[in-house]
Amino acid sequence: MVNLKIDGQEISVPEGTTVMRAAEAAGIAIPKLCDHKELTPYGGCRLCLVEVEGARTLQPSCTLPVSDKMVVWTNTPQVREARKFVLTLIFSERNHFCMYCPVSGGDCELQNSAYAEGMTHWPLQPNWQPYPVDASHKDFMLDNNRCILCRRCIRACGELVGNFTLGVEERGARTMVIADLGVPLGESTCISCGTCIQVCPTGALIDRASAYRGREKDSQKVKSVCAGCSVGCGIVMVTRDNNLLRIEGDWDAPVNAGLLCEVGRFRPLDDPGERILTPLVKKDGALKAATWEEAIAVAASKLQPLAGKNGAGVSVVASPRLTAEALCAVSELFGAKLGSAQLATIDEPTPAPLRSTRPEFVGTLADLKDADCVVVVGADLVADHQVAGFLVKRSLPKGTRLIVVDAGENKLKLLADYAMTPKEGAERAVVAGILAAIKGQTGDAFSRDSGVAADVIAGAASIVSAAKKVVVVAGPLMHLSGALSELADATGAKIVSIYGKANTRAAAAYKLDGVFEPKGKQAVFLSLGDDKPDQKLVQHIQGAPFVIVQAAYASQVTAAADVVFPVETWAEQEGHFVNVEGKVQQARRGLTPPDEVWSSVKVLQTLAQQMGYELTADWQEEF
Amino acid sequence: MAKPKVCDDWLAGCAGCEMSMLDIDERILQLVDLVDLRSTPITDLKVPDESGVDVGILTGAVNNTYNEEVAHTMRKRAKILVALGDCAVFGGVVAMRNFFKLEDALKRAYVDTESTEPGSKVPSDPELARPMTVKAVGEVVKVDVNVPGCPPEADVIFHVLSELAQGRMPELKGELLHWH
Repeated sequence: MVNLKIDGQEISVPEGTTVMRAAEAAGIAIPKLCDHKELTPYGGCRLCLVEVEGARTLQPSCTLPVSDKMVVWTNTPQVREARKFVLTLIFSERNHFCMYCPVSGGDCELQNSAYAEGMTHWPLQPNWQPYPVDASHKDFMLDNNRCILCRRCIRACGELVGNFTLGVEERGARTMVIADLGVPLGESTCISCGTCIQVCPTGALIDRASAYRGREKDSQKVKSVCAGCSVGCGIVMVTRDNNLLRIEGDWDAPVNAGLLCEVGRFRPLDDPGERILTPLVKKDGALKAATWEEAIAVAASKLQPLAGKNGAGVSVVASPRLTAEALCAVSELFGAKLGSAQLATIDEPTPAPLRSTRPEFVGTLADLKDADCVVVVGADLVADHQVAGFLVKRSLPKGTRLIVVDAGENKLKLLADYAMTPKEGAERAVVAGILAAIKGQTGDAFSRDSGVAADVIAGAASIVSAAKKVVVVAGPLMHLSGALSELADATGAKIVSIYGKANTRAAAAYKLDGVFEPKGKQAVFLSLGDDKPDQKLVQHIQGAPFVIVQAAYASQVTAAADVVFPVETWAEQEGHFVNVEGKVQQARRGLTPPDEVWSSVKVLQTLAQQMGYELTADWQEEF
Repeated sequence: MAKPKVCDDWLAGCAGCEMSMLDIDERILQLVDLVDLRSTPITDLKVPDESGVDVGILTGAVNNTYNEEVAHTMRKRAKILVALGDCAVFGGVVAMRNFFKLEDALKRAYVDTESTEPGSKVPSDPELARPMTVKAVGEVVKVDVNVPGCPPEADVIFHVLSELAQGRMPELKGELLHWH
């Protein structure tokens, strides 16, 4: 530990801590712009200058490591003067008329810094040079006029996401943030995760959907969980007057620490289509608005006689975007009470969690942090579960070796030390081949089976055997394979299985993991929530004698239904999600649902009551 | 003690700052009790007393040679000069013209506009003030009190004026320096 004094306060921090972090730990806030707690210190803006006794000049506290007996002053007249001067230079460098802007929303860190220093004006005028604005990206814009060249976006793009799209061109006053080698953002290698806009301290990178739509004090922030996939990223829903303005990554969330992908950040703001606002019941061949009593009664009178009829009874499908509570209620009502053996989710059937078979190999996404070799087998982390992909990609510059085995197309292969494309379904043979090579056995047979050259397999094996910590990220078809278990046995590798949608794991725990097959059934019950039914599902229910749907939005499925219950969307529902690691996280209500819309759980409970059942809704908290 | 003499004039602006000044409502009566209001754009006296005044207020940006002259006169005759509003403090909306060439701006205004008769010319009478690069008042003369805002809120203006009227230099910080 190092002992130092900041503003007269004795502080003890670990060696290597910066003065900025040491001050923060002591509750002393030092103004800053380029610094961000999730990013490597850069020392670019100079707003954090402090006085260090004995030092020749003021020192940037964000890059200055503490040393023993250091004496730091953060708020002397000299420091305050320097800050004002730094801000004056920043304001006059480009076109920052935002210092007195009344619509900034209060979240412009540059403006707030000027307020904090009590700046009423700046003595240097700008040079009245317009800078380029890049509006080519569908979700956000880059306005170089507002840029202070803090490079937070560039560091976030590389260090946090591992994408390295953003960079700078030119030098000095001509320095400009660019994508790739100077192409428009919309045509660049940008993957639209939006982390850059979340870290931008000014309005240089702004979100098209929410810019100028609400000041900080007029908007509400609710922490919740993303329902985009099974990674379970923590999100912050920013709302105003019951409208979703934008979604931010929650810096405090255990899984993603602020990161989000396009699916989690931008796509939930797309127009979801027509909302169903009242219960609907089919009368004389057409769906008509009905009261809740009526709709519940119609559904109950159809379902009740089917109790215990199993094979000829009711076929049930639920969305894995529903809360654990709702999935539990579906399972309880139709499984335990009505005795239907036909429970499924819209998702593909998924295997049981690895934990149940080989708990000693179970890794978590956090294991990726210090892995020096990552093997991705049968999972496309660029297309799905993207944030898990970010964790892999960002570890590569630190020297982590990457091996990708996938029969399909997989963009992660571009970054891999060894990328292997075996025959369809032959990933296991490659893993077995790697294992054989590690053990010094011949792998010719595996090479033949998989179609991957033996020397490639041997090369990958040499990386795996040389690594200190191997993490295998395995897709749904892979993680229970014997070859992987053996590989883990031989190398001490951790296996992170990655599959499914937001609550697939909870659905499986409630036995909602069968195959949906409505043929021969007398009724179909679909608990869709806000999920969009695919064509397969639409075709499946064609010709079903009686269809009951819980849905938030109108679709071909609701159009074909006999009874439709309007339910809450992901942003409106409250409950729990179980991520792919088995972590149980709470989803909170960010938006108030329309008047006649019920939660999925309430619909199921009311339906059960009508049939004389009482749902315990006793969802388990351990998965 | 004699009431402090106050003068006000506008340069290139929209008069929004004056509107906001009127927004101080009935408090204007307190001010009138405290100060001796001399020249303003809407009083008979248009220029500050040659003998000097205590406070001179300027709104708007310096946009041409006439504005420059007004600013110099006000500076010369006022002990304390206040730049009121974003145009006076920074150049504000008026300074957006600086992103274009002056000739282009004049041509657009006097020749190219859709409602202009064909054959119109940019006025060039030597009696007219010459337009120039838009400047903040502070770039032309020394300013003692900067009051930013577009326009500054009535409460801010009242604070500044009442402090000055009572012989104190106003200080803008905290809530008086926030626009959101």
